[in-house]
This record gives sequence, C-alpha cells and structure tokens, in this order.
Amino acid sequence: MFQDDELIHEFVVESSSHLAEVEGQLLQIEAAGADIDANLVNTVFRGIHSVKGAAGFLGLTVVNALAHSLENVLNMIRNRELIPTSPIVNAMLRAADQLRSLVDNVASSNSVDVSSFVDELEAIANGSLSEAEVVGDPHQHAIENSGFETELATDSYINDDVALLKDCDPAPEAVVAEPAPPPPITKKAPSPPVEKPSMNQQSGNSQAKQARPADAFVRVNVALLDRLMNLAGELVLSRNQLLSAVSLGAKEGLENIASRVDQVTSELQETIMQTRMQPIGTIFSRFPRVVRDLSAKLGKECSLEIEGNEVEVDKTIVEAMGDPLTHLVRNSVDHGIERPEQRAANGKLAMGTIRLRAFHQAGKVCIRIEDDGGGMDPAKLKAKAVEKGLITGEQASMMTDGEALRLIFAPGFSTAATVTDVSGRGVGMDVVRTNIEQLGGTVDIESTLKQGSAVHITLPLTLAIIPSMIIGCAGERYAIPQSSIAELVRVPQADMEAKIGRVKGAEVLRLRGALLPLVRLDSALGLRTVDEYSERPKSANILVLETGQMRYGLLVDTLHDNEEIVVKPLGKHVKELGYLAGATILGDGYVALILDVVGIAMQCNLRNIESSVKDAISDEDAARAEEVHRLLLFANHSTEQFAIPMAMVARIERIKASDVRVVGNQNLLIYRGNSLPLLRVEESISALPPEESLANLFVIVFRIADREVGLIAPILRDIRDIQMKMDSKTLREPGVPGATVIDGYTTRLLDLVELARARHPDWFVSEGIVEAVEPEEMPTILLAEDSDFFRNHVQRTLESDGYKVVGAVDGQDAWEHLQTIFDDIDLLITDIEMPRMNGLELAKAVRSLAATSNLPIIALTSLASEDDQARGTQAGIDEYQVKMDPARLMDAVRRMLAKT
Amino acid sequence: MTKEKKTTSGVVQYTTFYCDQSLLGLDISFVQEINRNLDLTRVPLGHPCVRGVMNLRGEVVTMLDLRTLMGLPKSPNTIRNRNLVLKCEGETFGLWVDGVADILTIDSQDITPAPSNLSLVESRLIRGVYQTENKLVMLVEPRELLAASLTGIRAAA
Repeated sequence: MFQDDELIHEFVVESSSHLAEVEGQLLQIEAAGADIDANLVNTVFRGIHSVKGAAGFLGLTVVNALAHSLENVLNMIRNRELIPTSPIVNAMLRAADQLRSLVDNVASSNSVDVSSFVDELEAIANGSLSEAEVVGDPHQHAIENSGFETELATDSYINDDVALLKDCDPAPEAVVAEPAPPPPITKKAPSPPVEKPSMNQQSGNSQAKQARPADAFVRVNVALLDRLMNLAGELVLSRNQLLSAVSLGAKEGLENIASRVDQVTSELQETIMQTRMQPIGTIFSRFPRVVRDLSAKLGKECSLEIEGNEVEVDKTIVEAMGDPLTHLVRNSVDHGIERPEQRAANGKLAMGTIRLRAFHQAGKVCIRIEDDGGGMDPAKLKAKAVEKGLITGEQASMMTDGEALRLIFAPGFSTAATVTDVSGRGVGMDVVRTNIEQLGGTVDIESTLKQGSAVHITLPLTLAIIPSMIIGCAGERYAIPQSSIAELVRVPQADMEAKIGRVKGAEVLRLRGALLPLVRLDSALGLRTVDEYSERPKSANILVLETGQMRYGLLVDTLHDNEEIVVKPLGKHVKELGYLAGATILGDGYVALILDVVGIAMQCNLRNIESSVKDAISDEDAARAEEVHRLLLFANHSTEQFAIPMAMVARIERIKASDVRVVGNQNLLIYRGNSLPLLRVEESISALPPEESLANLFVIVFRIADREVGLIAPILRDIRDIQMKMDSKTLREPGVPGATVIDGYTTRLLDLVELARARHPDWFVSEGIVEAVEPEEMPTILLAEDSDFFRNHVQRTLESDGYKVVGAVDGQDAWEHLQTIFDDIDLLITDIEMPRMNGLELAKAVRSLAATSNLPIIALTSLASEDDQARGTQAGIDEYQVKMDPARLMDAVRRMLAKT
Repeated sequence: MTKEKKTTSGVVQYTTFYCDQSLLGLDISFVQEINRNLDLTRVPLGHPCVRGVMNLRGEVVTMLDLRTLMGLPKSPNTIRNRNLVLKCEGETFGLWVDGVADILTIDSQDITPAPSNLSLVESRLIRGVYQTENKLVMLVEPRELLAASLTGIRAAA
C-alpha cells in the first residue's frame, strides 16, 4: 500500500500543518458560539477536507473515516444546523488530536481503532446529544461535562494535566497569597477512568514527540531564497576577482575585492540566519487550548491574550522554549489566577486574564507572561526558603522584595517530587530557569500582592553565534561563553597571598568575605607540567563562573577580547571530552576550543572541593576563635575604609537614600513605624564625606544605651575574620581606638559608643550613677591583657567613667600585682589567651588565695564558645564579655561592683 | 558519502605515504586531499593518537597521528610531514604522515595477504601487501584505522 514513500511523506508534512492550525481555529469557533463565522468554519472545513481527500487517495482508511466524521459536524456548523457549544468543540478537539497522532504515525494508522471518536461525532451530527445540552449555556456545560471528559481522557494534554495536578507541589501553593484550593476534578473524578480504548497509550506517546517528521523541515520564503541565490552569485564573482588579482600579483584592486568579499559574506551569513528564524507563534498557538482545558479542570475562568505571534526567533530556541513556556502558562492558571468567587470577593472580574506577549528589545527577544491573579507574598517566600534551609534568617532579612521573589527559581525551592516528575516535562521553576539559561537567556519575576505576577524572559535571537570571552592559557586560546561569566577578578601579585588560600589542599579565592573554589585551568587540563609552573604569570586573572548551582573561579593566564563566535561541531575523537562544548574558528583562523563550564567543574570534582571548603571554614573558625575578630568593613568615601566589630552589629538594613529625613541637625530613618537616629562617620571624626549620592545605602544598626542607632555605611566591602594588630596611636581620635591595614587600605576601627557619645552626649546622661560617687572612692580595677591595643582601649573606656585602672601585660604580671596590692583591687578584668599565665590559670590562682577568693572576675574574649565558658566558670570566672563591646562591659562592671 | 569500493577484484588507485621508514597505501577514494596544513590546536586530555584539531576551510577537523596509531613513538616535525585528509564512514579526519609518495594503480590480484609476523596492531590495520620492483607497500584499511582510533579513545575514557 505504501509504495510511494515520498508521497506519504508529503502527506504527513502537509496534513500536520493543516492540523496545527485547526486547533486554534476550533477554539475561535467555540468562543464565537452561536455567532458563527462562516469563513472561519470554511477554513477548518477545507483543512480537514484536504486531509480526508489525500488520505483516501493513499488508502489511509482510518484517517479518512475520522476526517470524514469531523467534516460532517463542521458541515452542519457551517450550515448553521448546529451551534458549536463546548461539549461539541471538545469532541471535535479530541478528534483533531487523534487525527494528528494518526498522521504522525501514519504507517500504523490503519490498525488503530477510532470508533469511539467516530461514534461521538456521529452522535453529535445525528443530534442525539439532547437539545438541552446542545443549546444550553456553554459555560455550564464545560463544568457539567468535566466528568465525562475525565472518563474519555484520551489525549496527552489531559494526561499531562492530571500528572501536573498530582504533582502540584504544595510548596508554591503554600506561598502564594491566596492558595488555590486543591484541584477538584482529579480528586472528585466520579469513577476511575474507564478502560481506555487501545489507541490511548499510543496516542499519548506520539503526542509527546508530536510532528517529528515536519520538524526536520523548514519553510523558507521564496524571496529569501532568491536573495541567498543572488548573494551566492556575488560571492562567486568576488572569488573570481580575487583569484585573478592574486594570480596577476596586482596589489591595487585587492583592497576593494577584500571589502567586497567581506560585505557579501556578512550579508550571506545574516540571510542564512534568517532562514532559521521562525515565528514564536508556532508555540504560542498551543496555549489557548492549554489554558482552556486546565482552567475548566480547576474550575477557574481565564482568558488568554496573545501578542507578538509574528516575532521571529531561531528554530532551536522556538523548539526549546515550548516546555518552559507551557509550565509558566500552567502556573499562571494554576497558582496565579484565583477562583472566580475569590476574585469576586476581591473586587475583580470573575474572568482572570493571562497575557502572553513577545517583542523585540535591544537586539533580544522578550517574552512576558502576565496574570492578574493573586500575586506572591515576598515575606511568605522568604519564610519558606528559611524553613527549607535555602537561606538563613539573616540573609532573609537583608533581601529585597525582588530578591525574595526570585527565590522561586532557587533549586530545591519546589519539592523534590516535582523535579523528578516522571512525565519528563521540566516541572519546577528552577528547571524553567535552567532551560532558559542554557539557551543563553535570562528570566525574572515581578509580582504585586493581589494584583498579579509577571514573568519576564529575555532570549538571544540565535544560538549559532554566542558572545564569548577569549582567554589565554599556556600559549593556547580558549573561548568561554559570556552567559556563564559572572565577573572577572584580577588579583595583583601583592595580594596573591591574601586572596588565594588553600583549604584542605584545594585552592580557594577570597571574594568579598566568601570562599570560592578556585580551578587553575592549566592544571585542570594538564596544560603545563609541574616544571613549567614557573611560567605562570605573577598576577592572577580569574573568571568567576556561574551555571545553575555551581559557582567557582577559573584562573587563567590572560584575558583577550570578547568575540561573537560561531560554534563548530567537533569530530568523534574529541567529542566525548567532557570539558569541551565545541570549537570555534577565531578571526585569524586559529581553532579555539570552547570550554564547558560545568564540564570543567566535573573534571576537577568541584563538588568535593566545595564541601571541603565548607568544612574547613568551620574548622578554621573553631581554631581561631580566640585570636580573631570578625569585622565588618565598609567605606564612606571610596578611599577610606572603616571596620566595626560584628559583635556590635545588631543587623544591617538596605535603605533608599531618599528615606533619610533631616530633622533639626539629626538624620532620621523612618522605619517600621519608628524613627531610627542615624549617624554619619564624617560628623563625628575626621573623614571624607561620601563622594557621590547613591540611590541605596546600607545602615548598620546597633544598640547603645538602650536605644537603636544606625550608622550610614554607603559602601559595604566585606565581613572578614581579622587578626587584630592595631596601631592605637597614629590615627587615634575619639571614636577611633586604632587602625590597621586591610587589603591595602588603612582601615580605622570605629568605637560606636564613642561615636555616638561625641554626637549625642545627652543619650548617656542617665547612666551617670558613677558621677554620684566621690572620686577618691572610685573602685580600682586590675586589667590583665597582653595586647597593648586592647589594654589601652579598655583602660581608656574604664577611666572615662571614672574608674582607676591598674594595667598588667599578662596573667603572671597581674598575679604579681595582686599579691602586693590585693586590698586595693575591687575587680579583675582579664583576657584569656595570654603568655606566661593565661586567664584561666590566673582565675584559679585568685580563687585559691583566701584574701582574693571573693574578688569578682570578668573575662574578656573575642568569641567564646559554651565549652570555654564552662571551663571559665570552673576556674572561677564570674562573667564573660566580648572584647569590642564597651557598653556591655561597662554594664557588667557596674553590676559586679554593685554586688560587693 | 564517499563511494566506498567493496570489490576485491579490479584495479584500485592507492595513495602511498610513509610511516617512519615503511611505505603504506590507502584507497584513494577515501582521501579527500593532501595538504601542508599542520597548524594545530592541541586538545588537552585527549587520546595520545589525537594530535589536535585544525581549521579545514571553516570546519574543525581532528588530526590523528599515524605513528601513534601504528604503535610507534611520535616523531619530531619535519619538512616532509603532510596532512592526509580522509573521509570514512561520515567522519572527516586528518592523518599526520611522515611524507607522501606516489599514487599507485594496483590490481587486486597482485595483493598478497599480510605476512604473519606483523605486530597485533599492524595486522588489524593492514589489508594486504603489494610489491613493486624495489619496495613493499602495506595497504591500510581505512575503516579499521578509524575504528582502532576510536576504540583507543573509548578505552581511555
């Protein structure tokens, strides 16, 4: 029967294109209802008719029979003998779907049983669907009919929907402001789906790989083809000129010819690219059906508005965007649009609107999916992310609303069940994001609570040309796609030791306080032998690469230009190398390999490095707890850096500069209904004011004298664990106890209490219990501290409150002092880590001596763990205080002295 | 697709080339071109028989090293080195040879089976031997050459 393969093939291609249009047209017919558009019905009729005709000619009896039944119904509609209500259109859509799957598997089509479809259509044509059903309110029918539809759920759309509903992870639902009630249809399905006709499985499968035969072909405008032909002719002409010029050795004409070849080639390239362009409407066209079916199932009312069907994108992108867009559209119906009663309660139209728009912008293609549904609540998203352990509470409090919304793209945000969905459809927003990023695009989300959400996708026009960074390493050049480069970091020779460290044998880059796994390209790919390591450049060029969950630094020799590169396939012998994504030919003819960012990470087992980095950080923290202070570094003017001990910081807020009000001579931030007094560094100490007004500022919030105060920190630099080697003389002024050099910046440590006191002495008046005491009766405090900086600092703080202070350089020194003048000492403040005799030994010694056994002891530490505290208590220490928090220390001192 | 000759009788033209001191021959219908395009980009971590990739008029083509394929150590580059571009089973690849010689027209009847004292590698690749007045030409089977190079890679991967 199928002697003529070519004829069959042509039939498949042609019928597929007819049937692709039929779906949308049927939906339009349904929307028009009794107001029948004869032209539209005619168009569908003609499409089905030509399928029927060709099928009959080719002996495809089953296709022919089904098309015939469909045609009958259409004919009745055309003659206005039948009004296309939802149930009728449903039946027709199912028949059209079936027809499509028959055409896709044309070879086996004659053995398929379509009698259920034919019978249903016959029933409609015979008017045996009761009058009431046919003429009734179409919308009501859609709902009544849903049970019937479930039973007959034969096409993959419905199967998919069921899968989707099952997988509807409660996660997004929980965070959506008005969660949609559990999908009713699947749960309330009246009976388990009736034994499905034998075709069902097959039709479901074939739908998944729908229209394969047609996919391998592209329809090209003849005018475009003519232009290509012209250009090819031009190219041949230019080549001939070039060849003759070269053979004659003529130099004069050569430049002209070269520019001509250049021009023709670029035009040729552009035109050929155009043949790959396809209207995005080819995927948009499936969404009216998706929205219609899904909203009927969920008992919602949605209308879909589509704009920009004609926008053209590369064929590969059109094909790859199908699944992500379907997921987003379904999400809008499922989670976005509220149920009609809820919408009415919120004063909205019962009918929700989803808008799908495609348009060109700045050389890229943008797609927007907007709905006027319930929107998302950033606070709930944050809470959920914290609960899932994706972010810490601290991070959550620093997040802007936009950042919070973006959490939905985070891997692991939706439950695992959705990601490993058996349907294979990329369900889950992180998969959507990954898919889009793989195409070199970006995706973002906006949402306003109760007003709706919008997902914004930006895509490149083509994939065949990708913007890349050309880098050099060990004499070779490589290309890395721009889309995976987050930033470039150059570490000068002088900073190499500070910035690049080693954690359990793996190199890491310190970048703004975080440790980033570092991969040296030359060792990862074995480009240099160990002997050749000396050839490495002295400074480091590092690309910070980011794809999906992975983020790491790649150290290369040199950074060359950005180039738009054309990707060339690799031969069999090298294709299987995981670190390669392909190759390209650079302007000078050199073949440059394109590196696969994920592949390189795998090559180096980067996951292991990452976890060991984490382990090591905690190890390091533990080991250094005694000596190191965690400092927040910020800049007011970009040339001056300041540090604040993290122990003093209650939290950090990001604010808009415009939120700062000036009242009298005070800066205030209106914030959570209260006003927060703000300090500026340059008001209290000699510092340069910020050089430019920034739109956003950071405010470091801390507590002083029972009130919250904010310090404006225009530029946050880092949070760093730093060994305190402070110079407490050179830059000393009130508010600045000392300075040190960090990252090449002279960094001044700020004493927030002194800063605040300098600006607002009035805040501290109520603390004046000390003033009541006569100077000669002031208690004497013995202070044991080996660091000059801290000793001076604490001593000054104590003395400024009127106490007498005896300083000791270590435990032994303090012990000697104590034995001679123990009568005069009212309180001992001691450091823990000291040479000769440490704080614990000192405390034990003090307790063992009868005369001093009741002397109150306060220990000063940088960061004390509970274990340390327990040991301290055993040794006889009464209280622990953090070194850099003078306000608390003074409180403790006052409290202890009051007891005695 | 290249027209691959499967007949065992009849006259076939062979391109002959050197591998070290020995003379090898390849059915000319597999040979696309011979050039001195020896500018390669090396492929790190690739199989030893892969010398690199090159730009063949806009296509990126892999260059294999004949000596490595024949189980010999790589030789330093000389002025006589040539790039033999082959197309076999849809795959285009270059073969780095130690110089090319004549094109011989050989009747299949004159081909004698390969001697049994060849090494294992050689015996797989050599289809037969042809004798001229003063020289011995080993005739290489290109499909085997491709298969051998690819299995080497699979094994290494």
